Amino acid sequence: MIVVENVHKRYMTDHGFGHWVLKGVSFTIPPKLNVGLIGANGAGKSTLLSIIGGVDQPNKGRVERLCRVSWPMGFGGGLQGTLTGRQNAKFVCRIHGFEADLQDRLRSIQNFAQIGAAFDQPVKTYSSGMRSRLQFALSLAFDFDVYISDEVTAAGDAAFRKKAAAAFKDLADHASLIMVSHDETTLKQFCSAGIWIKDGKAHWFDQIDDALKAYKEDQNS
Amino acid sequence: MLLIGTCMRMENSLHHPRSSASITLSVWKALFLREALSRFFSSRGAWFWLLIDPVFHVAYLMVVFTMMRVSNVGGIDIATWIMIGLLAFFMFRVTATQVTNSISANLALFAYRQVKPVDTALVRAALEGVLMVAVTLILLTGAALFGHSVVPSDPLAVLEAFFGLWLAGIGFGLIASVANGLIRELGKIIHLIMMPLYIISGVMFPISAVPEPYQSWLLLNPVAHGLEAARLGFVPNYHSVPDLSMGFLYGFALVSIFLGLALHRRFALRLISL
Repeated sequence: MIVVENVHKRYMTDHGFGHWVLKGVSFTIPPKLNVGLIGANGAGKSTLLSIIGGVDQPNKGRVERLCRVSWPMGFGGGLQGTLTGRQNAKFVCRIHGFEADLQDRLRSIQNFAQIGAAFDQPVKTYSSGMRSRLQFALSLAFDFDVYISDEVTAAGDAAFRKKAAAAFKDLADHASLIMVSHDETTLKQFCSAGIWIKDGKAHWFDQIDDALKAYKEDQNS
Repeated sequence: MLLIGTCMRMENSLHHPRSSASITLSVWKALFLREALSRFFSSRGAWFWLLIDPVFHVAYLMVVFTMMRVSNVGGIDIATWIMIGLLAFFMFRVTATQVTNSISANLALFAYRQVKPVDTALVRAALEGVLMVAVTLILLTGAALFGHSVVPSDPLAVLEAFFGLWLAGIGFGLIASVANGLIRELGKIIHLIMMPLYIISGVMFPISAVPEPYQSWLLLNPVAHGLEAARLGFVPNYHSVPDLSMGFLYGFALVSIFLGLALHRRFALRLISL
């Protein structure tokens, strides 16, 4: 269960504080529920995800994670460019406390990512598709209760996307997801509930279809 | 220090809840290995430059002093004087700059909530300490092969001086890393301060030869005290500055480390989100 209570967030800009990205967001995500976050670009979806993931902190309000929550999986983050894929993977295993079965986990990460010899090359030499393959494989290597995903399914070539979707589906069966996506079919496929973010407020919908409808109606008006 | 690094962690581990301390320890271990790797192998022959940098400095100053026909300073062999002074100075400067840059070099890793900025700073400080000890030992061995006397007469005093410089480097780096992260212009000012530090710390000339009142001014710099103390520890008959004070160096180190940790505690979140 994740409890988000009255979360406010604004960022520091070059000219002092920026506007409030989130103004008083509250909701509770019960266990075993997949939630899709929708909203226009810049509405604060990714901000909310990183606050839920514990990477960023709200200026006001609080977030309680009463379960094992993944880091926000998504573009770019979490990979150190100067290190190889293997070294990055080792690092992530170590900070999560998996020292004993490190080799097994490395093998499964390598097998899923399927980036061949590039696994032992610095990540900065990777193409964006290879990066997301590695990121996705990394996140699958641990059993979290809740996975936080920022458009991860949209990465890679067709073959990998198919594989990722299958793995994601499998994941969605035994763990819950909080995901951001602009792809309606992805959202409908994985999520049952939806949160629509508009003007710094979050609106909860028990059905993702209703959330998408509200979002679209608002855009058209 | 442990507390500051961990008190913001509310973490449920994957199989059994890990304590804050055990999370911190595994983060430190992972970071240490990650930092060591990039220090040794980030560029071609990085480990070679690690060693060649101080060697080159010593050789360069030796050539300059030989041309000026200076063979001893303050009653001790010029080679020993330069080498000890430089190594002691690097102990401070390398630690300080590496810790200062620790946050910007690890930005990608803050995607994991287990990793805090202060972790990267402290781990880098530990790594640099280990590396500088190794570099110092290698250089002294090299000098011994050339027939210089490199066995300190008071090893504890030398260790005390190097350790104090290391701590001062950590304190300086901790404060500078936060300052750098919050206000980018401060980074440039810190860089400006670091440049003349090489000269005013008495690496190239003996501070004891500077007339008053300027000598007292130079001795406001804690690093100068560390350098003189290290030389005095090697050769007891070295004519060091009369007002040499280890208390001043350690006082500076402890106050700056405390201030640095407090700044990290206060601004940790701002450092990551920038």
